[in-house]
Amino acid sequence: MINAKQMSLVLTVLALVLAARSQEKAVTNPVAGNPRAIHEGASLFRANCSPCHGLNAKGGGRGPDLTAGRWVHGSTDADLFRTVTRGVPGTEMPANAFDDSEIWAILAYVRSLAPPKSEAVSGDPAKGKKIFWETAGCSTCHMVQGRGGVLGPDLSRVGEARSADYLIDSIRQPSKELSTGMLDPNNHYGLPLVYDTVTVVTADGHKIMGVARNEDTFSIQLIDINQHLQFFLKKNLREVTHERKSLMPAYSADTLKPAELQDLVAYLEGLRAE
Amino acid sequence: MPAQVTYQRLLGADQEPQNWLTYSGRYSGWRYSALNQINTGNASRLAMQWTFQVADLGQFETTPLVVDGVLYGTGQNDRAFALDARTGRAIWRYQRNLPDKLQPCCGMVNRGFAILGNKLFMATLDAHLIALDTRTGNLLWDVKAADSNAAYAFTVAPLVVKNEVIVGISGGEYGVRGFVDAYDADTGRRRWRFETVPGPGQPGHETWAGDSWKTGGAPAWVTGSYDPELNLVYWPTGNPSPSGYGGARGGDNLYSNSMLALDADSGKLKWYFQFTPHDLYDYDATQVPVLLDEEWNGRPRKLLLQANRNGFFYVLDRSNGKFLQASAFGKVTWATGISPDGRPLLNSNLVPSPEGNRVCPGALGLTNWFSPSYSPDTRLFYVATSDECDIFTSAPQTYREGHDFLGSVYVPDPIARPTGALKALDPSTGAEKWEFKYFSNPNGGALSTAGELVFAGDSDGNFIALDARTGRDLWNMQLGAAIYSTAITYQLDGKQYVIIPAGSALFAFALADQP
Repeated sequence: MINAKQMSLVLTVLALVLAARSQEKAVTNPVAGNPRAIHEGASLFRANCSPCHGLNAKGGGRGPDLTAGRWVHGSTDADLFRTVTRGVPGTEMPANAFDDSEIWAILAYVRSLAPPKSEAVSGDPAKGKKIFWETAGCSTCHMVQGRGGVLGPDLSRVGEARSADYLIDSIRQPSKELSTGMLDPNNHYGLPLVYDTVTVVTADGHKIMGVARNEDTFSIQLIDINQHLQFFLKKNLREVTHERKSLMPAYSADTLKPAELQDLVAYLEGLRAE
Repeated sequence: MPAQVTYQRLLGADQEPQNWLTYSGRYSGWRYSALNQINTGNASRLAMQWTFQVADLGQFETTPLVVDGVLYGTGQNDRAFALDARTGRAIWRYQRNLPDKLQPCCGMVNRGFAILGNKLFMATLDAHLIALDTRTGNLLWDVKAADSNAAYAFTVAPLVVKNEVIVGISGGEYGVRGFVDAYDADTGRRRWRFETVPGPGQPGHETWAGDSWKTGGAPAWVTGSYDPELNLVYWPTGNPSPSGYGGARGGDNLYSNSMLALDADSGKLKWYFQFTPHDLYDYDATQVPVLLDEEWNGRPRKLLLQANRNGFFYVLDRSNGKFLQASAFGKVTWATGISPDGRPLLNSNLVPSPEGNRVCPGALGLTNWFSPSYSPDTRLFYVATSDECDIFTSAPQTYREGHDFLGSVYVPDPIARPTGALKALDPSTGAEKWEFKYFSNPNGGALSTAGELVFAGDSDGNFIALDARTGRDLWNMQLGAAIYSTAITYQLDGKQYVIIPAGSALFAFALADQP
């Protein structure tokens, strides 16, 4: 049985829920552009977000560049608010328990970071696709949607995570910003050097080069340049050398002309999750 | 029924190496065992005996106690358990009903029980101290020490001295006002409290600008040591809050980052020594103090050794707090050395700035809370170290109750990948005798034994037995998840066991039976 008092409570709750829903649609950042909020947001961002997204929100080892003006999980204030509070299921973005005012401050800060001045990507993605899969041989090492090699990072969603400038840098100078793996300051567990070239020398003097998928005090697990997994115990090795450079060749303007680079970047920028 | 654990037994814990009666194994903080069945000659025959799954997530930081055949441990989210120490079978399990919305800075962890009589004492994440019955896990008493809504929390393993239970609070990342408390073991009534941030009128209050003392931090989250002869409890304290921004808390900020010598009966401060005055790098001094009676410059002296998170290995006279010696035990850039009076000589170019400065050691320190060990056989001090430098940034922050109060963020140096080591130091000089290198920076400490072994665990899940004299690795086993604690050992029915938590499980090792 439901009495009148309970019914009135139900109706009140229903009204509140509906009001909240309509509010959610209309919601905008109450402190957008407010210098104080931006300042506070910058502090909060540094303390809470920068371990993954980088000190200046330009992307880190685990989180995407937030200055590129590209919002994969929705670009409205309400979308961004939701992304911060609830996280993004299936990714490393966690839910966060901030006060609303703190989230708005963080978002005011993030919105204040003007998208970097980038030469507009003028290339032709169809031509870029051909370069990726055929002429430049990128797919020998990189996978896109289940096809390609396994030595380099999977690029199926690279358009979401990286700016055109970052991609150009990665193609022209792949060793420039060699990721050393970010650490989670609360968990503090080192990630393997997934982009670093490692050379091991076996007891009989055999040299094997590759990328470490994992390494610890006693062992190393490599994908060698022939894209085979190789497992070693360090006690059986003469040497383990971290080259601190990428296995990826640098594509100079001689090997990849500026127009071709634009085409390739246009293709990569279009690689997103559907 | 097992015999009761009396205070007399705790005092003589070194005389019963078949048990593990306190957090550090004995009051002097050595984490050393006189057992030698497992030794350098046979460590290669170590084999797993049993495993116990806590079945919860997060860092498993407990140091179990073992008394007369029963192992008592705590787990993540304030779980607890008692096991048959021969087989790992559970006798009882306990889980505290914690409020929602607890956000301790560094995980829902607990580092272990203390025991007296038929009571186990556990300090909980919601800032209570509770007593459980050793035989059933039943709750015997429960007292609130502080308000968990203001981010006060306990993660520490208590220390029992006489008939009192001593605990220190956590919350240095949230602007709490730290304290060390003692409670009556029978009733849970509080006997004394030492506030680690002095209030108005108390000595030391002048070391805090304005009202900064109210949110000054100086938590006390690692178990101290005790000298029964001097009746002094040595309890270390953590960072001032906010850790990365000092602009609003001018002064030395006593008693943050200090060693406190407290009278065990009254909680009165006998002396203090501050390792890192006006800290800007989160260099908590919360490392277990190691007490040693040794000749110093030709005369016998009561020493206190500490390998501090700030990168220096200190020797103090524990009767009066006099500074005797300090030397860096790894890469240190924030200070160029320690002056004869014990104060650091600061590198003023390296204070955290809005843009960031690269400083060594990083915010997690050259070492951290995980236990060091001292062996009277090798006369060496063993400590796990991190080789990591961080970029420290700094920004003013407004305090809000229950919220992060850091004033900064630090990120690992993007150039050099953090690594680590287990190091053996000569306590008389601080000189390094050997090091065993880890691939990653560690979160587990060291246990030394009369078998001339050091047991240690790394962050990549390897449990390792090293030769205590040379650092050579004699045995290792991959346990499948990071080790966030330090080993203990005990002996039952003629068999020596070594226990290590890893991932979410306890693993027990002993020598494999001879074929």
